[in-house]
Amino acid sequence: MKRYLIGAISALALTATTVAAEYPEKEIQGIIQWGAGGSTDTVMRSVTPHAEAALGGTVVMQNMTGAVGAIALNYVADAEADGYTVLMGAENPMLYKIMGLGDKDYGEFVPINILARGTPLLVANNDAPFNSYSEMIAYVKENPGTVRFGSTGPGGLPSVVTAMINAVEGELDVIAVPYDGDGPALTGLQGGAIDVMPAVLGAAIEGVRAGNMKALAVFDTAENDKLPGVEAVAEVNDGYNTYLPWGPFFGVFVPKGTPDDAVAKLSAAYAEGAKNPEFIELMEGRGFTLMGISGDEAEAFLSKWQQGTAWLLQDAGLTKASPEEFGIARPGE
Amino acid sequence: METLMHFLTVFSDPQLLLLVGLGTFAGVYVGAIPGLSVTMAVSILISFTFSWDVYPAISLMIGIYMGGVYGGSRTAILLNIPGAPSAIATALDGYPMAKRGEAGTAIGVTTVMSFIGGFIGIGVLALAAPFVSDFALKFQPRDYMLLAILGILLVGSLSQGSLVKGIFAGALGIAIGAVGRDPLTFAERFTFDFRLMEGGISFIAVMIGMFGVSEALLQLHHVDKDAVRQKITRIVPSLATVKKHLPLSVQTSTIGVTIGALPGTGGDIAALMAYDHAKRVTKNPDREFGDGAMEGLVAPETANNAAVGGAFIPMMTLGIPGDAVTAIMIGALFIHGLNPGPMLMIDQPDMFWFIVGCLVMANCFMLLFGLTGIKLFTKIVEMPRSVLIPLIMLLSIVGAFAVNNSITDVYWMLGFGVFGYFMRHYGYPLGPVILGVILSRLLDDNWRRAIISEREDLGNFFAGVFGSPLSTVLLIAVVLIFVSQTPVWAWGKSRIFAKKENT
Repeated sequence: MKRYLIGAISALALTATTVAAEYPEKEIQGIIQWGAGGSTDTVMRSVTPHAEAALGGTVVMQNMTGAVGAIALNYVADAEADGYTVLMGAENPMLYKIMGLGDKDYGEFVPINILARGTPLLVANNDAPFNSYSEMIAYVKENPGTVRFGSTGPGGLPSVVTAMINAVEGELDVIAVPYDGDGPALTGLQGGAIDVMPAVLGAAIEGVRAGNMKALAVFDTAENDKLPGVEAVAEVNDGYNTYLPWGPFFGVFVPKGTPDDAVAKLSAAYAEGAKNPEFIELMEGRGFTLMGISGDEAEAFLSKWQQGTAWLLQDAGLTKASPEEFGIARPGE
Repeated sequence: METLMHFLTVFSDPQLLLLVGLGTFAGVYVGAIPGLSVTMAVSILISFTFSWDVYPAISLMIGIYMGGVYGGSRTAILLNIPGAPSAIATALDGYPMAKRGEAGTAIGVTTVMSFIGGFIGIGVLALAAPFVSDFALKFQPRDYMLLAILGILLVGSLSQGSLVKGIFAGALGIAIGAVGRDPLTFAERFTFDFRLMEGGISFIAVMIGMFGVSEALLQLHHVDKDAVRQKITRIVPSLATVKKHLPLSVQTSTIGVTIGALPGTGGDIAALMAYDHAKRVTKNPDREFGDGAMEGLVAPETANNAAVGGAFIPMMTLGIPGDAVTAIMIGALFIHGLNPGPMLMIDQPDMFWFIVGCLVMANCFMLLFGLTGIKLFTKIVEMPRSVLIPLIMLLSIVGAFAVNNSITDVYWMLGFGVFGYFMRHYGYPLGPVILGVILSRLLDDNWRRAIISEREDLGNFFAGVFGSPLSTVLLIAVVLIFVSQTPVWAWGKSRIFAKKENT
């Protein structure tokens, strides 16, 4: 009897180890936080096939939209932490808690790979009476309450950039017109419904290249080689160095508690996938800055990003709850 | 010459030709099944075609798009369940025809008219794309708002019977559309603190429930009755029929292209507006609208297929999607290493002409697949009800689940199905509910955008409306259509005509 038992246990152990060694033994479900055709979607769908090749498995990607991505985040957080459900998301979850959108953020996840970061760009309608960032600031100060800024709701990139401008330049009296995404807002900008729109470089660059809108400034510490001659805000006003570089990012995550083996394999696969020349060319063409970080480095990046952004929004009075309540320390404290 | 070469790429390459055909064929069936949407099929194809070249990938997607928009009419006519939102208006007159045993004729007319509409849309895309996209960009938030009001006035045409009940149904639809987190401020509306309501109520789930499940429940009353035998002797409509409806189809196609080209509005709104237009301009229909009028089929079907060409206009000229499907296609082009945007037409004109070629081809395949296999389809309605009803239920459940892979949507769908059954039972029309859901966001978001832009000053708002010819025209259209539906109009008309007789 005893022998049987030992045999059975060792057999079980054997199968268990072989299963673990063979991760992935079935299809992996990749949940994309945003809709098909959006930037998160495109980035994930371009990198994943290369990662699949490195992993030797299949990742079935599926878009799960709604509630600013919180539905997808909760879905993956509630799924079994076995490495077969992966979240493909953007920066938004880092603000869920303070914006009252949810009680979970990437703190409940292990970052597999933070793939890339975008650079914010300030664009204006061609007929706007200013041609650069400095001229815009001067114009807004002389004509309070007339310039229309596009926004995408509290916590979106435009709200953070606007909060940053207000923090550095002092309160600007502009009209914030809400849109449901930067695509519709940039369309509105070209039609003259709004005058200025803070958008991620990749979304606006083709419009700027074609002369359908004009670039006022890049929100970075130095000029961007995609847009030579467009001033960098940190060079205009030193105050921006506190906050920059800043930008939305894209990353792949698994719930905490996922077996180390799976995390290691997925991280290796995505690191390999992100090195693919086609992917790099694609990302650089759209003006994204490649990061490709994982592990502790990614954790550090996430918490720094969250601290800076959360307190910026808190100081701008845009939050529902103070970052303090969730133990998010003020940067530099 | 080079242009012609690119245009003909798809015709000369058997592989591409096959892919367009395959796509169109699949599209007709994807479109016909409620809940399986073209948007979904195309987004699945992005992953599937990742490693392909860009031409084959785009060929397949365009085939599915064209076929799918047309396919929605199939189930609308045969089962009174629109396969896609853009086929809602088709059901209004198509189903009464099928009930009379004329499903073959209805499908034939629909197919030929979709083909004509599709071609007009493609023609406008090929010849006037930059001009139309400039026009589309001129639409300000206030214009979208006026357009939405214009849409809401369609309640009058969609409510057969009591107008009051129609208005109630429309208002209900607008309320359903407002549920969930407001996309502009993220404030919760009508969610009652339930997390599952944060994402809002899926519009597709409402549509499938209201049309699919309620239809199945209604059919239960007649389980023992025999199904109507369908005449399928004459499928291809006679030249005289086509000629008779040609002027109308040109008008409704124009509506289709324009609405399709506007970012933010698509084939669904275009089809409903076209239906309303047909109802207003057709003086003496052979049969009343809602009772199987041929014009009621021609209008929405030409418009929704013309909207396909329209949706490509802002996509190709500006990199701005005209609807959900073109939004995904922009993503696909990007993945395949192109830079979709205003420079695409200048950097890669071959892509533009290739897409036009694919659309032409897909449109032809649509005609081919539409006119064949009708026999098989009409057999569906001739099935005994005891088989048909469970089948409808099954398709409804699968469809509702497939939209977001969410079981919550299935519950919503079933709930609205039962609710829709009682609405029908008490004579409340269902069309206006869907209309309300479609227009809810368009109206709400753009009204807020418009008034926020003016710092909440109504005076400035109206100054803006009257300062722009486009807004003024839209406002006048709204006022005229509204007045024409009130007794004041009839009274005024009789006064004017009476005077003429006196003199």
